[in-house]
Amino acid sequence: MAAVLEASDVAKRYGAVVALERGELRLERGEVHVILGSNGCGKSTLCKIIAGAVPADGGSVVLEGRSVAFRTPLEAQAAGIATVYQETGLVPTLSVVDNIFLGQEPGKAGGRIDRKARYARFEMLIGRLGKLAAHLDPDTLVGDLSIDQQQIVEIIKALSREPKIIIFDESTSSLDRAQVADFFALVRALKHQGTSMIFISHRMEEIFAIGDTVTIMRNGRFIDRRPVSETSRDELVNLMVGSALQQMIEARQSHRQPGKPVLSVARLSGGKAQGISLELREGEILGLGGLHGQGQSDTLLALYGGITRRGGEIVIAGKQLGGSTPAAALKQGLVYVSGDRGRAGALRGRPIIENLIVGILSKSSKPIAERGKLRAQVRPVIDQLKLKFGRLSDAIETLSGGNQQKVVVGRGLATGPTVLLLDDPTKGIDVRAKQDLFALIDELCAGGMAVILYSSEDMELIDHADRVLVFNTGHVVAEISREDLSEFALNEASLKTAPAHAEQQPAHV
Amino acid sequence: MSDVTGNHREGAFQRAFAFAAGTPAIATLFGCVVLLVAGQSIAPGFASLGQIAGQLNVAAILALVAAGQGIVILSGREGIDLSVGATMTLAALLAGNTMNGQDGGIAPALLAALAAGGFVGLLNGLGITVLRIPPLVMTLGMAGVITGLLIVVTQGQSSGSTAPSWAAFVTRPFLFGLPGVLFLWLLIIVLIEAGLRYTRFGINLYAVGSNDFAARLAGISVGWTRILAYVACGAFAGLAGAVLLGYTGNIFLGSGEQYILPGVIAVVLGGTSLAGGKGNYVGTAAGAFFLTLLTSFLTILSVAPAQRQIIFGVILIGFMLLYGREKATR
Repeated sequence: MAAVLEASDVAKRYGAVVALERGELRLERGEVHVILGSNGCGKSTLCKIIAGAVPADGGSVVLEGRSVAFRTPLEAQAAGIATVYQETGLVPTLSVVDNIFLGQEPGKAGGRIDRKARYARFEMLIGRLGKLAAHLDPDTLVGDLSIDQQQIVEIIKALSREPKIIIFDESTSSLDRAQVADFFALVRALKHQGTSMIFISHRMEEIFAIGDTVTIMRNGRFIDRRPVSETSRDELVNLMVGSALQQMIEARQSHRQPGKPVLSVARLSGGKAQGISLELREGEILGLGGLHGQGQSDTLLALYGGITRRGGEIVIAGKQLGGSTPAAALKQGLVYVSGDRGRAGALRGRPIIENLIVGILSKSSKPIAERGKLRAQVRPVIDQLKLKFGRLSDAIETLSGGNQQKVVVGRGLATGPTVLLLDDPTKGIDVRAKQDLFALIDELCAGGMAVILYSSEDMELIDHADRVLVFNTGHVVAEISREDLSEFALNEASLKTAPAHAEQQPAHV
Repeated sequence: MSDVTGNHREGAFQRAFAFAAGTPAIATLFGCVVLLVAGQSIAPGFASLGQIAGQLNVAAILALVAAGQGIVILSGREGIDLSVGATMTLAALLAGNTMNGQDGGIAPALLAALAAGGFVGLLNGLGITVLRIPPLVMTLGMAGVITGLLIVVTQGQSSGSTAPSWAAFVTRPFLFGLPGVLFLWLLIIVLIEAGLRYTRFGINLYAVGSNDFAARLAGISVGWTRILAYVACGAFAGLAGAVLLGYTGNIFLGSGEQYILPGVIAVVLGGTSLAGGKGNYVGTAAGAFFLTLLTSFLTILSVAPAQRQIIFGVILIGFMLLYGREKATR
């Protein structure tokens, strides 16, 4: 059977940087084709070329037997290729329905927009998404939607063009587990209709859940193509990283002996988090689990002073936490790192070195910044995190996402925290960067640092946490010990509801 | 099978443009050279050393105002100080009345000018950070308050005068045939550049301007950093007022007004991003020199002050368009 789309020897360079050296992809009709590789391996570039977002420098793309070279995304769309990007290209000031039909308005005579037809089309599309879009109001402004809802609008927008091929670029990274399940149901339905899909994801379990074929890329080159049913997690990581079997997968920590208590939190509220109490011991990694946005991030932020605290007592290393600002928390040995680099981490336009030293500079509160000394202080962290950079004076945005995240983590670690608060720290970064990050965190925990880790990826909690508190609607609804930790246990616990005395809300099922 | 080939050849013009856009200080200094050459060809003597020294002298006042403005703009969140004109007038009047033509009054007068400017800046900073009044509104309101107060107090009359030594320091040759104020300016360039790089305040200022939420999470006191930025801006406007007094001898209400717009333009010409977090003072200083030269150049072309205003405004808007494009392509 002929492939729907076949790309061979596709190349792309930006100035001196080779983004893609030998891209290859063979997409069959009605298959879900996963492209796997670390950040910077060229998979995004390959997809952009197929989608007409950037022109290739060489190679060929054949769509249904016809050689094509799209110059714009519009041309690719017209040929039946739709793309759902991770960073949404929606207009925040327009409504959901306006965004979906932007540029393809069902028209009436005289250039007027046929509103009725639009709503009818919208309802039809929504129907195909099932629960995923159940609460989506066509008239809400996109700017008022949460990130996951925006991603869903992007998906509807792509579907509205009835494409033959859909490229999903990390579309699941902003969705929670229940949404991912609904999304997969949609993907299966599309498959039955014969739609071919290219799927980029950093989540290994998703590849096995939904993929038919996987193409592995490394350093801008096609490495191998495997049927998903005939490969394993270990094999894929090996192909991807290209070195001896990485320890990450079996990095189930040897059981650590927790030390004495370092953090005790009682009845902490703030944002969505309500009355959270927890204890943390030296060297312990406490996981926070549950569906997306159930108060996990807000617990960490309220603890750190990043959002306003509404009551609660925090004792760190035997001392009451004084002050309600991050500056005060930092001085007492807390550090918070968000995975939302763009908003809460990276100081765009500033050199890597400044991004690294602001933490220790704040903690020391010396008025003069001795740059030589500060540089020496962050040097060990740079090495330990295996940061890849050109020069420390380059702006942080010259780094890949994974390395930017390492800088943000390094900024916090350089202050030598007693307790590290990680708020979904590996969102959208590649396997290798994740490994580097957790290798160091595990090492520091062995030295006594304590960690609270919120992760939207179950595997991350299972691989690294000593125990997990599961959240639902702002409350802790379950605690799972290391022995009982499994995807099933996490799933089950995430659907429990808050205790009876708290305001009861229907669980998000 | 045809090749998927994109043709991407950057022209020499684009590359030169990219370089200039990347280093605005150099581009602006190049503009200065162009103006000097053009001026010299129209009016011989325009580019003589004596003339250039005179231009620098005038530029110093603008550069002092722009120094503060640049710091405030660096702090981000639409940071801008439109009260610098009124602050200059206030400081100059205070300094003039403290000196009252006596050399002994110079030190207290300078202190009074700096303190008055710093105090206005403190009020601006508190209004903007604590009361969350938008900078544009806060500082415009502050300008109105100061100007009104000055009218009430002075009855619209000019009062006070510079001490002779202060006037000499600002206008007469002091060292190597250059007035003392140019050495003061040089010192301030060094101090600001060092301050931005080697003090906690400087690094925090950039961090706050770049991403204030991330800066806060990094343990930076965002509010204090912004307040300090406005205090510094006020103090620089105060100093500029004192220098203006030395330059003109007497001060009238509204003497400082003419520096508001050029001050902002100098900052923008110097490559400081109005979004904050990016820029330096060397660029701003070059921008101030360029604008001063441009004013003289337009004067020898007999362009009337009103038309000069138009040209200045168009330059500012033109540069804004340029920055808007830069942002959109990110």
